[in-house]
Amino acid sequence: MNAKNESGGNIYRPYMMRVVDIRDEAPGVRTLRLEFLDEAQAAAFRFEAGQFGLYSIFGEGECAFCIASPPTRRGYIECTFREAGRVTRALMRVEIGETIGFRGPYGNVFPVDEWRGRNLLFVAGGIALPPMRCVIWNCLDRREEFGDVTIVYGARTVDDLVYKHELKEWAERPDVNLITTVDPGGETPDWRGKVGFVPTVLDQAGVSPDNAVAVVCGPPIMIKFTIPVLEKAGFAPQNIYTTLENRMKCGLGKCGRCNVGAVYVCKEGPVFRLDELRALPDEY
Amino acid sequence: MQTRGISKKNFDRLPEVLARAGRTVIAPVRNGEVVAFAAVGPDTAICLDEINTRLSLKEFFFPRTEPLLTFRRTENGIEMSDPAPTQGETIVIGARGCDAAALPALDALFNWDFRDEAYNRRRENTTVISIACNDCDACCFCTSVGGSPHNTAGSDIMLSETRDGGYLVEILTQKGEALADELADLLSEAPGEALPYAEVPVKFDAQKVRRALEENFDSPLWAELARTCLSCGCCTYVCPNCHCFDMQDEAGKSGGARIRMWDSCQFPLFTKHTSGHNPRPTQASRWRQRIQHKFNYYPQKFDCVSCVGCGRCIRLCPVGIDISEHLARIENEAPERPADHPNDNY
Ligand code: FES
Repeated sequence: MNAKNESGGNIYRPYMMRVVDIRDEAPGVRTLRLEFLDEAQAAAFRFEAGQFGLYSIFGEGECAFCIASPPTRRGYIECTFREAGRVTRALMRVEIGETIGFRGPYGNVFPVDEWRGRNLLFVAGGIALPPMRCVIWNCLDRREEFGDVTIVYGARTVDDLVYKHELKEWAERPDVNLITTVDPGGETPDWRGKVGFVPTVLDQAGVSPDNAVAVVCGPPIMIKFTIPVLEKAGFAPQNIYTTLENRMKCGLGKCGRCNVGAVYVCKEGPVFRLDELRALPDEY
Repeated sequence: MQTRGISKKNFDRLPEVLARAGRTVIAPVRNGEVVAFAAVGPDTAICLDEINTRLSLKEFFFPRTEPLLTFRRTENGIEMSDPAPTQGETIVIGARGCDAAALPALDALFNWDFRDEAYNRRRENTTVISIACNDCDACCFCTSVGGSPHNTAGSDIMLSETRDGGYLVEILTQKGEALADELADLLSEAPGEALPYAEVPVKFDAQKVRRALEENFDSPLWAELARTCLSCGCCTYVCPNCHCFDMQDEAGKSGGARIRMWDSCQFPLFTKHTSGHNPRPTQASRWRQRIQHKFNYYPQKFDCVSCVGCGRCIRLCPVGIDISEHLARIENEAPERPADHPNDNY
């Protein structure tokens, strides 16, 4: 669990969580809202934006996703996943009221407190909005502490955009500048957003690096093309953050799977600044 | 540290004497061609004349497969329990110094930040009596990684064969002392003279290798070194230091277990993302990972190399890859500075 178990105890033992809500986000993509069965555990549970956990179906196994709901909303956590393998297939079959396992929170955090007073730029692609949704809502729930908030989000098609409700909400908020885009060919007749790949759309948006930090999450290829755009715009590597999606099993720095260079992504990550990322071998 | 002696006759009585106190005694036993660690009784012959056992001591602390938790499906939902400890008090007799020396390196991994309870319980329950080497083979390279044929790291008691056929008994830890007290009747105050230890040639300089690794993530040498590698993972399974594992559920209708099992960074699936992207898509990148992890990353993180030079991976590699030879080549052939730093392209 989350405690460092200095007092002993089984670090692989999950919390028991009740599924209290299910939302379909996009084809094959679903969000589960989970509450602790045990009230004492619920009261003691703390996490910060950027952290992840291992979600499990007993008999099928565990799967690592970030916590997609913000720490500013207490009493529950949410995860968003795409059906892809044995565990996510089983998670897709779960119904409201059923119990699943959760271990966490693991990993490091976005330094949200350090960002006070600064402009925030969030750039996400496809199924990588969930890792960012946590930190976005975390900042929006503390909106007065930050400057401008800009969100650039793209997916392959209109259908593939996740959190459609929340995108609408962000679009309507005067204190959020939301830019959505879909890949060429992915638009529908009534699509009002942009058409183009995230790096291109970001470039055209003309974002300012002044007093700003950028957070980028997406498939490796998107990140690869987005970083140069941010650097061209004047963002220093110390002001660019991302989270790595390396494969994980234990989340505890033991199983070796997430090792890249001298770091274990599950322990020293998943959040990295670009300057930190550049000190690592290109194996993520 | 105290030193005692034990005669061959009294040594042969150890399994009987120790087992009498209700413990498990583990020692190398010959079974046809293969010498392997096994539980021994009063009548089992302990085999100490092999260079080393087929598999290392690792599995007695970190088993090949082990349940991490068990669960039952009941009327009221899932009921979880922690697995019962599988190993009570255990004495290992006759491990080589290299195998014992891998234990402190594993301790660092299984204890940083999160303490792995099952591993630590087995460590606490086990006393290791190792035996120094008077002989080595062409695959041994302990002296290149900070060890020696008489390396006492990780051992509670170390034996060295003496000219009269008995053993010199070095008592190294509190656990070792407690055991020596218990065996006082079998030990003598005047040990014989130890036979000369094996002379294991130094094949590379681990410090220089580490520097070369730091600067040569992107060397063309990797593709060349890994060219014949089959990606079979044998080296990682026989390694006393390799610790990577997988976790899987095994269950039937009424319940099951969440199990961990040894895994290998040499398998392509080890790092493959759900999206299909694989950060280590080639065998060259996976072989580089094994070497970098052991001789560069592990020292950065835990202050020790993750290799004790036991030579098993060399003896058992189906295509004859010799990691000590690779490390010597990295030390000697890797350029001081790579032309393109690998991290400039992200
Ligand atoms: S996920 Fe096991 S070490 Fe990071």
